[in-house]
Amino acid sequence: MTDLERDIARLIIDTLALEHLTVDDIAADQPLFGQGLGLDSVDALELALALQNRYGLRIASDSREARRHFETVRSLALYVEGSSCAG
Amino acid sequence: MMEFAVDAWRAWAPGMEDDTAWAAWCAAPHAIVDNGEQPACEFVPPMQRRRLSRLARIVMHAAWPLCGDDEQLPFVFASRHGETTRTFAMLDEIGRNAPLSPTQFGLSVHNAIAGQWSILRGQRGESVAIAGEADTFEHAIVEAAALLGDGLPAAIVVVAEERPAPAYDGHIDDVPFSYALALRLSLAGNGPRWRLSLAANDGAAPVAGVPHALRFVRALHDGAPLDHPWKTRRWHWQPSA
Repeated sequence: MTDLERDIARLIIDTLALEHLTVDDIAADQPLFGQGLGLDSVDALELALALQNRYGLRIASDSREARRHFETVRSLALYVEGSSCAG
Repeated sequence: MMEFAVDAWRAWAPGMEDDTAWAAWCAAPHAIVDNGEQPACEFVPPMQRRRLSRLARIVMHAAWPLCGDDEQLPFVFASRHGETTRTFAMLDEIGRNAPLSPTQFGLSVHNAIAGQWSILRGQRGESVAIAGEADTFEHAIVEAAALLGDGLPAAIVVVAEERPAPAYDGHIDDVPFSYALALRLSLAGNGPRWRLSLAANDGAAPVAGVPHALRFVRALHDGAPLDHPWKTRRWHWQPSA
């Protein structure tokens, strides 16, 4: 995983109180929701808030793009990188 | 007047992990110091456990063994102060003009722990969450007695408080340490029988120091009657043969 991906995995663990996991337990391409890591809709809201605070992202909660960005740690990292380039 | 059997009970406070500890404490009650300890609740899967606050863990730890996996029992959750820790965290966010945590918000309501009990234990029956004054415990018993009177075979009652943040010092003075008492009550069970009655208070003052629910734990050990005056009300606990 890249440094940014590790940062995001750490943010997910800390924000969502996944005390039983370490950064190494989360693969960059593992689905975060449903059958993957097992996160749910409340986690999505909580994670959006944490990403906003950490990286200054603005995420529309109902957009199809948001769903795509939130698929994996890797897709979130690409989104963060894209946003900071654009910004 | 209500009469019922206390078929099982469990209590928790920091450092008080088993019946032996409570028996010793009841023989010689001493101040319990709250250093933020909380039950591990390893019987709850990690993905669900992460949503349990300290107060919720204390409740689950105390109540869990009192309900069989194949039973459906009504649940009465009682707490005078509830989730002060979550509420205080949200007040801090509001004070800083920061967005509220959705998790804190959703789980700060008074019936959240009763809801978590229902989900974790697959309980689909009656569920009550109450907050009262210093006699919240007795009001919870009244709820349970009403459920039993309705014909339910047994009821679980949990009274629980978490020591609040220091900012509440001087405002909340009846939670010297976090604790919970969980009871399994029935009308016709084999446990020791108790009568609870209510009369007008003639001016008697409540006993300060030990949380009242834990004074009842003492009464469970020594079988002695217990009085609980509060404002206009005077509750009387009487063991009955």
